[in-house]
Amino acid sequence: MRRTGLLPAAIAVASLLGCATNGPATSYEKWVTADPRSILVVPPASKSVAIDAPAYFLSTVPIPVAERGYYVFPVHMVKRVLEDDGLSDAFLVHQADPMRLCSLFGADAVLYVTIERWDAQYVVLSSTVTVELTYVMKGGRTGDVLWKAQERMTYSSGSGGSGGLAGLIAAAIDAAVTKAAPNYMPLARQANAEALAFPGKGFPAGPYAPAYRKDLGPGK
Amino acid sequence: MRPHLRNAALAALAAAAVSGCATPSTHYAWGDYDDALYSLYKDPTPAQHQKYVASLKAIILASEQSGRKIPPGIYAEYGYALFEEGNAVDAVAYYRKEMEAWPASQVFMEKMIGVAQRRPRPGPPDGPPPKGPATAVEKATGS
Repeated sequence: MRRTGLLPAAIAVASLLGCATNGPATSYEKWVTADPRSILVVPPASKSVAIDAPAYFLSTVPIPVAERGYYVFPVHMVKRVLEDDGLSDAFLVHQADPMRLCSLFGADAVLYVTIERWDAQYVVLSSTVTVELTYVMKGGRTGDVLWKAQERMTYSSGSGGSGGLAGLIAAAIDAAVTKAAPNYMPLARQANAEALAFPGKGFPAGPYAPAYRKDLGPGK
Repeated sequence: MRPHLRNAALAALAAAAVSGCATPSTHYAWGDYDDALYSLYKDPTPAQHQKYVASLKAIILASEQSGRKIPPGIYAEYGYALFEEGNAVDAVAYYRKEMEAWPASQVFMEKMIGVAQRRPRPGPPDGPPPKGPATAVEKATGS
């Protein structure tokens, strides 16, 4: 009897974490040919008016990418060095020749993240926080796109709450807290987790991970 | 009916576990690296910079003591923090450590060693770094 709670919980956990292997099979041919070992993460470009978003987001990138088995260049150092070289405009860096950029750092691939949305909207007593990102990885040898992904994460406060006065109060508190300091970071981290999940939207494991060359199945 | 339900639940759990998403344990010991970097960008003060540098140092000590491989980039970031403080000699030592631990960093590290050796920054010995990341964040966002 008590076990009946387990099934919905397990499904909920699996779906929340985005572990389901859905969607069409992606071709990893270019990835496998390029066989990158090291990834240069350049500062994100942003279409959002949130001035701090690129730097905040940058702090979430190195850990999940390195954990996939790749050497990730020191992101803060790279950002400062680019700035010292007069390349503080992230859009300019994103438009620069990826082959030249990679050769400057000795990188096998470069990861460009564009922040499409990073905002909070308030409607009456509820607020919705949205983070939307585009990820593009280009190879240093060919300049080809090796992988790309898009993620949009939203969090709504006050939605699905209980009705009546208690619900209204809960929503008001929720909105006030979020309005004072909308916390985008859990959404950003979740977006990375989903974008990098493999199997899933992500890319195969790199040479520093045990799954390297074992996670693509036979014949690849 | 009951056994089917249980099997389905186990299958769902197994699927989550196999794809490594259930409890994402990390390969490297990152300490509070991402939080410290986030805090530095959020509050770019000398105090926060010190905390960030301390966090890098803690990761280095923990990795060296445990014998676990140091996460990529940490030696380099620490070396660069020393360089910004005007300590070019120790910066070079940490760039070399990065290169030893991670040969993929060689091209970049050799360049940075060259930079450190050519123009060591005469910063104050224990003062704040000469350029605060505050302006860096503003510059990076192109505003």
